[in-house]
Amino acid sequence: MALSSASPSYLTPIHDKLMPKHVLPPKGGLKKKAPSDGTATPITPSLAVQLSYLHHPRPFKNPNYTKNVNRRAKNLKNVLTAERERERAEREARRLEREEAAKANLNAAAAAGDIPEEAPTYTTIEAPPSLIPHKHLCDITGLEAPYTDPTTGLRFHDKSIYEIVKGLNPSIAKDYLSARGVNSIVK
Amino acid sequence: MDVGTVLCLFAVYLSFSFNTMDNPPNPQNIHYLPTTYQASLPPPAEPYDNHRSAHTPIVIDNGSTNLRWGFGTSSTPFSGPNAIAKYKERKTNKPLLLFGEGIDSESGARGQAKTPWEGDILLNFDALENALDYAFIQLGIDTPTVDHPILMTERLCSPLHSRALTSELMFELYSVPSLTYCVDGLMSFYQNHLPPPDTRYSANGLVVSFNTASTSVIPVYRGKGLLNHAKRIPWGASQSSEYLLKLIQLKYPTFPTRITNIQTNWILHNFCSVASDFPALLKKLQNPLNLRASEVVIQFPFTLPVVEEKTEEELARIAEKRKEQGRKLQEMAAKTRMEKLLKKESDLQYLTALKEGRGGESKKEWMGKLQAEGIESEAALDDIIKKLDNDLKKARRKEAGETEEPLEEPSFPLVDVPDADLDEESLKEKKKQKLMKAGFEARVRARKEKEREREEKEREEKREEEEREEDLDGWAKRLRREQEALMSKIKDRARRKAALNDRKSAAAQARMKNIASLAADDRVPKAKKRKIGGEDMFGADDADWAIYRKINTAAPSDDEEDDLAALHTIEQKLLAYDPTFTPSHTHAALASQRSALVSAFRPVYDEADVQGNTRIHLSTELTRVCEAWFAPGMAGVDSAGLGEVIANMVPSFVPSLSASSFRSSSSNTFSSSRPHTSSADRSSVLSNVLLTGLPSLIPGMPERLHSILQSVLPPGTPIRVRRAQDAGMDAWKGMAAFSRSREYTTTPGRERYSVSKAEYEEWGGERVKIWWGGNWNGGVNVSSPGEDEEDGWGGGGDEGGGHGGDWDGDAMEGVEETGDGHGGDGGGGGGSGGGGAPAPGPGPAPSRDLGKAVEAGPSSSSASTSAPVAGPSTSTSEPVAGPSTSAAADGPPPTKQEIENARHVEAMFRKMFPMPGDDLGDNSDEEPDGNGYESTYYEPDPEDEW
Repeated sequence: MALSSASPSYLTPIHDKLMPKHVLPPKGGLKKKAPSDGTATPITPSLAVQLSYLHHPRPFKNPNYTKNVNRRAKNLKNVLTAERERERAEREARRLEREEAAKANLNAAAAAGDIPEEAPTYTTIEAPPSLIPHKHLCDITGLEAPYTDPTTGLRFHDKSIYEIVKGLNPSIAKDYLSARGVNSIVK
Repeated sequence: MDVGTVLCLFAVYLSFSFNTMDNPPNPQNIHYLPTTYQASLPPPAEPYDNHRSAHTPIVIDNGSTNLRWGFGTSSTPFSGPNAIAKYKERKTNKPLLLFGEGIDSESGARGQAKTPWEGDILLNFDALENALDYAFIQLGIDTPTVDHPILMTERLCSPLHSRALTSELMFELYSVPSLTYCVDGLMSFYQNHLPPPDTRYSANGLVVSFNTASTSVIPVYRGKGLLNHAKRIPWGASQSSEYLLKLIQLKYPTFPTRITNIQTNWILHNFCSVASDFPALLKKLQNPLNLRASEVVIQFPFTLPVVEEKTEEELARIAEKRKEQGRKLQEMAAKTRMEKLLKKESDLQYLTALKEGRGGESKKEWMGKLQAEGIESEAALDDIIKKLDNDLKKARRKEAGETEEPLEEPSFPLVDVPDADLDEESLKEKKKQKLMKAGFEARVRARKEKEREREEKEREEKREEEEREEDLDGWAKRLRREQEALMSKIKDRARRKAALNDRKSAAAQARMKNIASLAADDRVPKAKKRKIGGEDMFGADDADWAIYRKINTAAPSDDEEDDLAALHTIEQKLLAYDPTFTPSHTHAALASQRSALVSAFRPVYDEADVQGNTRIHLSTELTRVCEAWFAPGMAGVDSAGLGEVIANMVPSFVPSLSASSFRSSSSNTFSSSRPHTSSADRSSVLSNVLLTGLPSLIPGMPERLHSILQSVLPPGTPIRVRRAQDAGMDAWKGMAAFSRSREYTTTPGRERYSVSKAEYEEWGGERVKIWWGGNWNGGVNVSSPGEDEEDGWGGGGDEGGGHGGDWDGDAMEGVEETGDGHGGDGGGGGGSGGGGAPAPGPGPAPSRDLGKAVEAGPSSSSASTSAPVAGPSTSTSEPVAGPSTSAAADGPPPTKQEIENARHVEAMFRKMFPMPGDDLGDNSDEEPDGNGYESTYYEPDPEDEW
């Protein structure tokens, strides 16, 4: 690894701290010790400055590495969609494979045994929606809620809570509903 | 339900059983927020010399909350919150880069903090790079590469995007020689079921792994994670903490201080718990006393308002000053009044003089004189003089302190004179006098009326007083009845108002009917018309007009104000004389009344009580937020909870419960090879549960899971539920233990777990090798001789037993027997598409597979098949070095073995995807000296990344 390949770039913009720093002379707060003569106001580097590792040498990093362009391009949604898409394509491919195998081999059952089941992916291991009817809880207190207010849709425990529910203004009632994941769609 | 009756009952109920705001909440269980943690300087980097060129594995647990790292040989890892912050310090304008707890040392840095994880997904690789930099700096690494094998956790079934970019960082930026990905839950399970030396790790159990943003349930069978049965619930500690925050914000919408995520996290981990029986707990908490008893109060910081204390002297001085000012003002006012009076007096004198001075001037001259003064006529002059005179008299009287005396009756002499006797002037005068007389008389009448009323009132009061003195009880009862009647009237009105808002209510419809009938041409129906003589009598009765008020909903009701006033007087009387009538019985108090339950749920402090108003009372919330792990639906996440997920697994593992009617295949399975041991084995998976991850420390979690298992497993099954010994660290410790085990340290062994740099360069960053502690997606199935990896993986799905459910191969044995990683199992060459197939050894079976793969290769999606040969044939952005060029690549020179591996792989792929000029026909001949990798490419790569 050629150490000289990284130019001694004092002029590198500060934020580009991903440049290998091992060729730079160590600068920064950690090395600075407060002058102890006590005449002038001693500048003690703050804790944060001491904790900062921006200028610590990182000899172990490959100076020739360039960042993957993909690194920042994808957001969470993209990644999950890609994953789902990939899974779908894979399943399709497997299906084709299986059909071909069945065609090639009359003993379809045996062929099916050879084809691997799909590998579990991030999307396939997601727990299914709940099938158990879940308990109705009072939106205000969290106690059991046998009643539902027909105007707001809020569940409530008893008549004293109903008094509160009646007094809620619609936007707060909506907030309560959204805590339960019921979001009215406003068009 | 009839709301009216409920409300009436409610009103009665109120007066008996409700405690009032008079009792200030006096909480017992108050907790103060912890003072903010001050980060300390990290320990100096370890001396690296012990590990220099020793290839000690580095173990990294890349959790979404905490990053833990260290050499596999150390007993405890470094650890810190997995976040970095780039920040420019204000004072010195110095850029800073902080990791973990260091971020808290600079107040502004918190806002700049970035974590590698976005929820459950590893996504921010800039942050990951910075965090890994910190980790390697702390390990003291000063060589040009990180020359250590890496073991690192990744999310269960991690998306391949995350894995690819992590591998890229590791191999290309840090140039590590090899990388093994582990699933944290499985490694924690390993740590808690460490096999004795020289025995195979083959524990059964169920891992419930609590992550920050998700919770996973992974069955482990004979040491291997059955990922095809694993499930992830999208609910974790961060969701619980957010849910808690939301509940607090709803409960205290006007809380004075901002509540942060850190604070709710602290509450979650310190006070929340899982109810072993949630419905029973809710029943118990219905009682306000129990609700109060269960509450936890969090006191937020507050500052008492500074009350200025003044001494007597100061107060006296201030009062004196104020008096002085008042006096000055009074004096000034008196002065101006005096001046005005003087002016008026002089005016009067002047005008009277003017009047008297009218000598023998002609009328014209006189008028001219008057007009010069701005007066129109003589009469006007008289008026002015009279007015001035009156004013002066009044002022003097006032000065003398007299009250205004009633005016004597003015005389109206002309009123009684017949018109005939009067001339025109006098007639006018008479008219005027008549009017004045009428007005005067009306005033007198009104005065009399008033007097009479006063008298009557006095009489009434007297009578009431007598009544009161005679029979206080009766009087009070009467008044209370009146009060109640008024209150119910007010309530009725309010209800009517509310009902009018609803278009469908009876009240609203009656109103519409009224409007319609008022608008109709003939209001009176014909039949009725005939009866009453054909006349519309609307308006004859004054009450008829009330209909207009009734249909106008916006009109303010006079009655309402009257009623409130009457109510007020009644209440005042009762308050004054009835000792049993307290302020809490007044209408105002009752209207703002809160039930015991409501005030127990959220006690209200006096407005001036700053300390009380910065308290948060938590009662049902403490269990409610944890209950969401078992029913995420209650917080709006449509997913099965922990209990349901585990219950769904039962049929796959407990044969007696998998009814043969719908799971015939699996019951076949169980009866096939070794029914007894196998099924007993499999069902033991569910009866040994390990909870790991920090949220598993929430009290009650094991007990709850125990009761869940008890309800879903056959009666009498011994159930063992426990937490990991060190819920936070065990994943790291398990990996460290694994990195020290013979299984990993022996060279051929490691190759079965980790991806080497050469392999990375060939396969790209998404591939891993399938082993017991890692993920399967993007996996390459590596069988070593003696171990047939068929179950679970190959069998997949619920018919996991398709291959008998036994991995009877012994990894260690296999390794020792062959001694050579690329040994004999050439027959397994049918990797493509057939990784799950039992590979009985060198035999004819695979040739079919291979041939098929070759056929499928060019025709099916090109990404899946062309990937490995991307080096020479496709040009993509990724730096993919073909096997042949790997030696020339940067980084440590590949070992001899790696080169050999590469050659093998190249040979295999050339067989599968022949270049022009290659001979396809002889592939079966070369198989026996095939390679150790039986690669299975499951992933057609739609993104054409390589």
